[in-house]
Amino acid sequence: MPDADAVSLRLSHVQAWYGDSQALFGVGFAVRPGEVTCLVGRNGAGKTTILRAIMGLLPRQTGSIILSGREASGMRPYERTRFGIGYCPEERAIFSSLTVEENLALPPAVCAAGMAKADIFALFPNLRTRGRHYGDQLSGGEQQMLAIARILRTGAQTLLLDEPTEGLAPVIVRQIEHVLIELKRRGYTILLVEQNLDFVLHLADRVVAIENGSVVDDLETRGSEHVKARLLERLAL
Amino acid sequence: MMDLILGYLTIGLVNGSFYALLSLGLALIFGLLNILNMTHGVLYMMGAFAAWAGSRYLGLGYFGGLVFAPLCVAAFGVILERSLLRRTYGLDPLYGFMLTFGAAMIVQGGFQAYFGSTGLPYAAPDWLSGGLDLGFLYFPAYRLWVVAVALVVCVIVWIAIARTRLGSILRASSENAATAEALGVGVPRVFAATFALGAGLAGLAGALAAPIYQVSPLMGSDILLVVFAIIVIGGMGSIGGTIVSSYALALIESLTQALVPQAASFIVFAFMCVVLLLRPQGLFGISVVRSHEFLAARLPWIEPADKETAAKRLTGMVPVFAAVAALLALPMLLYPVYLMKIFCFTIFAASFNFLLGFAGIMSFGQAALFGTAAYLTAHAAREWALPPEAAIGVGIAAALVLGIVMGIFAIRRRGIYQAMITLAIAQMVYFVYVQASFTHGEDGIQSVPRGVLLGLIDLRDDTNVYWLCAAAMLAVLFGLRRLINSPFGMMLIAIRDNERRALSLGHNVDAYKLAAFAIAAFCAGVAGSMSAVVFQLATLSGVHWHLSGEAVLMALIGGIGTFGGPLVGAAVLVTMQHFLSPFGAWIVAIQGAVFVLCVLLFRDGLWPHALALAANLRRQDATSKSAEVPQAMEAIGR
Repeated sequence: MPDADAVSLRLSHVQAWYGDSQALFGVGFAVRPGEVTCLVGRNGAGKTTILRAIMGLLPRQTGSIILSGREASGMRPYERTRFGIGYCPEERAIFSSLTVEENLALPPAVCAAGMAKADIFALFPNLRTRGRHYGDQLSGGEQQMLAIARILRTGAQTLLLDEPTEGLAPVIVRQIEHVLIELKRRGYTILLVEQNLDFVLHLADRVVAIENGSVVDDLETRGSEHVKARLLERLAL
Repeated sequence: MMDLILGYLTIGLVNGSFYALLSLGLALIFGLLNILNMTHGVLYMMGAFAAWAGSRYLGLGYFGGLVFAPLCVAAFGVILERSLLRRTYGLDPLYGFMLTFGAAMIVQGGFQAYFGSTGLPYAAPDWLSGGLDLGFLYFPAYRLWVVAVALVVCVIVWIAIARTRLGSILRASSENAATAEALGVGVPRVFAATFALGAGLAGLAGALAAPIYQVSPLMGSDILLVVFAIIVIGGMGSIGGTIVSSYALALIESLTQALVPQAASFIVFAFMCVVLLLRPQGLFGISVVRSHEFLAARLPWIEPADKETAAKRLTGMVPVFAAVAALLALPMLLYPVYLMKIFCFTIFAASFNFLLGFAGIMSFGQAALFGTAAYLTAHAAREWALPPEAAIGVGIAAALVLGIVMGIFAIRRRGIYQAMITLAIAQMVYFVYVQASFTHGEDGIQSVPRGVLLGLIDLRDDTNVYWLCAAAMLAVLFGLRRLINSPFGMMLIAIRDNERRALSLGHNVDAYKLAAFAIAAFCAGVAGSMSAVVFQLATLSGVHWHLSGEAVLMALIGGIGTFGGPLVGAAVLVTMQHFLSPFGAWIVAIQGAVFVLCVLLFRDGLWPHALALAANLRRQDATSKSAEVPQAMEAIGR
């Protein structure tokens, strides 16, 4: 059981800008090991920006980002992955000039315990036959699975997933849900951005609500039917 | 006859080998770093010098040199990338272009000053002398060796990129460096390594070329533009395509040399124009849609987001008036010809500044237009005895026509590609003038009569020419300003900012861009014609691409996208050249250093800094006034 006080990832006073436009206004929350934490909020609230801030992909940001006990604010994105973080961007960013196998092999291993190929294909059977296909020849669902798969290969223990079910058919959404439940069962830490509240409530241990670049709520979801109602109210959905 | 052709074909294979090594390196660098590496020619030259130095100072044999030279040049490439290029990565590709252009000037100028322009000998090993007699063909052994080495190296690089994990890292980073880095790829190292690889390939080509051509500081200068043309023809995204295009075009070039020698120097550029008309993405290139996304250039420092900046630009005309008034009084103090040179260069810089700063079009072939106007005006005045107004008119008309032709090809692509196309077309024009008899080659057209303007004003009087020149400059500057603030100008700016949106609104974007080219050509034509009359001279340096580089430098120093910029930039450049003339051959290197410093430090140019200073002073006493101007901005829709 994860130590309740241990923290995989902690943000404090994170502010961020795109050019002159400020997107985050002092965001702070923590992600505990082995838990699934969900960022919810409306479009444009800043959820994707938070994930980008954690990875250091923003043109300008301030504040503290602590990864596995180390302050990561000054580090370049590739240095942050060494802390066992894997990032799946919203657009999936599967490289179209690489085959599926090359996409899988691309990220360098950050930990010796990277998932073996056999395990990957067990989790994502659709990818098994697609090895030699180029990235842009995959369907949206396959791309999403590949995006998660390549992170698992590196041995990353903390997964940042940006809207993994966006634009996917319901049957594929269920597949991805099963994958995430399985990953949670295996002890992975997941920070998930999602708009689909039902999906969130099946999965999340914790929900952080974002509105206009700030955290407006931060609550546990275990065994609470009125979480959804409260979120809907907080986010004025 | 057949023997002759086959002989030329072997030359073609050899040239193709050099083109392949160079274009491969250039394409890799461009694909990943999105930088048009203007140092590629000097890297090739440095490879040759490294081989020569290795043999002379380190006692290395030929094969030692063949290993030493690429390593040397690759190391230099890493230093260049880490110290200078790295600072331009988040910025518009134009900065990388200008930075490498400046760095190339420093290196070439330095080498030229130190070694002179004559070549140094470098010998091939004895066992590679002689040749292979194939009956129908005699293939010199060394050249066969060059072709073999180049092919092997190209194929190895090709396979490495297509099949290995390192290659997949390069491909992924070229496609989306930010994501690759977010996945843990050490992208900064990939950038450095790729630049080193490209540089190393260029260095290898230089070392291979050393025994064939003399080792000279100028050896990389012209080959660079041919390589650009090859990359445009081959298209991006295909390494195999780049290699094949290199050999194919070299063979075409040699065949042309055998059959139609006068056309040999620009056949590659002509081919490029044909390919651009029929298949803009290049023969093996990725689809046009993606290449447009890939290559569209934005100019972040001219963002009209800040109304205050826009206000500064308009109210900033007050200091311009003052400066111009001062300049008009200056002939009492300064040598009029020096001032006229500034005026002509101001007009020239303004033409580039207009295209890039307001229309967002990169044209680095402005010298072709300048030189064309100069030559035609000079010829009309001297050989056809036309009065100055007619001669100038002829010059401007010629520049206009050429500018429109150039524009037709250049608007088929955007961003850096557009720049490459204009450079290559200008190079074609250069070669035409080198061979045309009316230009008198290296001597140029001299003793151009100034004549009597409109039958009234005797231009042999320096004062009259001075006023004519000053009037031309003011007319151009104010004319351009009027144009920018008109609906046409606003449309150009809209197209610059978001071309797709303009297209989707139904505007004929191509027509606007062509019009912008024509206007800039007109201005460059005015500059060239005036220079022919003022200096009574028209030479090859007026059409050389270095002059285009000076236009960029002037615009950059002064501030791209401003109205006073060209004047400030021209004044600084002409003054600098004047004070640097005792340095002789080092001028080029020093100018390059100034270029590099400007790109790194004064990216906005001197003019906006001066304006900001003036605005700050003004703001201290008139806070109410600054409220009016933003309202005026709203009124004209900015």
